[in-house]
Amino acid sequence: MITFWINGKKVEGHPGEMVLAVAQRHGFEIPAHCHHGGVEPFGSCRLCVVEITHKDWKGWKGQVTSCLYPIEEGLEVTTESAELLQVRKVLADLLLARCPDAPEVQKLAAQYGIAKSSYSEHPDRPLCTLCTLCVRACEAIGASALGTAGRGPARKVGTPFDLPPEACVGCGTCARICPTHAIDCTEDERVRTIWKREFSFVRCDVCGRPTLTEAYRALLSERSGLSVEYFKRCDQCKRDEQAKAFSQIVR
Amino acid sequence: MKRYIVTPSRCTACRSCELACAFRHGSMGLPGKTRIRAYMIAEGRHMPLTCLQCEEAACVKVCPVGALVRNEQTGAVDVLDAKCIGCEACMAACPFGAMAMLAKPDSGPTAYKCDLCGGDPACVLFCPTKALQYVEPPRRTQSPR
Repeated sequence: MITFWINGKKVEGHPGEMVLAVAQRHGFEIPAHCHHGGVEPFGSCRLCVVEITHKDWKGWKGQVTSCLYPIEEGLEVTTESAELLQVRKVLADLLLARCPDAPEVQKLAAQYGIAKSSYSEHPDRPLCTLCTLCVRACEAIGASALGTAGRGPARKVGTPFDLPPEACVGCGTCARICPTHAIDCTEDERVRTIWKREFSFVRCDVCGRPTLTEAYRALLSERSGLSVEYFKRCDQCKRDEQAKAFSQIVR
Repeated sequence: MKRYIVTPSRCTACRSCELACAFRHGSMGLPGKTRIRAYMIAEGRHMPLTCLQCEEAACVKVCPVGALVRNEQTGAVDVLDAKCIGCEACMAACPFGAMAMLAKPDSGPTAYKCDLCGGDPACVLFCPTKALQYVEPPRRTQSPR
């Protein structure tokens, strides 16, 4: 266990853990837009910036993104200060300049008292904040169909060569995890359309209700070692089957 | 450790458990988001269904981010909301349909399931016929599986 300090309070964390993860576990509120506990930290929004210092550092202190800073013994972390507030304000201002139409970004900026960005707005007014949660979630699932392309202002999240991605399984996690709902995902009874590709649904073998996509079923089957046949039923029918089976066994 | 014991012959499918569950978990006031369901199989034959907290749980195995963990105190498989990325793999993997997705106001949807209310199940509290019980198991059922 590593012992260090957050806002003067003694906290403990495991070696290799990041400052933000430990802080959140101990109930400290640090703003973060691109952070998600389930995927690798990335540090794109930089809102989780904190001040660090150490008694051995001879008075030196610095600002780091807490999601990417590994904890160390005796570290002294400050999560709120006038300087930090100023940094976060600028970051929120910049985010709003990029995504003026995203309600979630507007809400974030409003927390810092910004209604309209003081920077010139992005001409395309994208909804994507480049937080890359979709990219990281896709990696976690095992599809790795997404990535970022380009640099600077031209940087964007997308599929290789902007083509319908071969590796995508149409699970829809990217669209669900996106904090600004920037990913188009539509579905009807038959297919889910995402990243310009259509994925047909597996249908429940009892009631015919669509469940997961066929490609996602193949991926899950491969990952878990279960046969494709295992994923043939919808939740409702699974429960019906369980109820019938159990009522015969137990009284 | 206490065990969650269901006695179907006592269940009248009054669905008090469903309401108790929905209210205990907030579920944004939606009784449809209950984690336990009382089924009517035939006239006079009822079966309350919830997560079985499988020992070798398919949901735990299939979760890509380790968001499903065994709670050593209650024995339940708990969803760590902060880790869940909403990939629905657990939903597909659960053979009993005990897993579902809950929309969240400030993040993507996350999985939800019975967590035995952290050791004090509301459904048990509200079951009028004691079809649901959360008790120390009698000695004979304690044999290792």
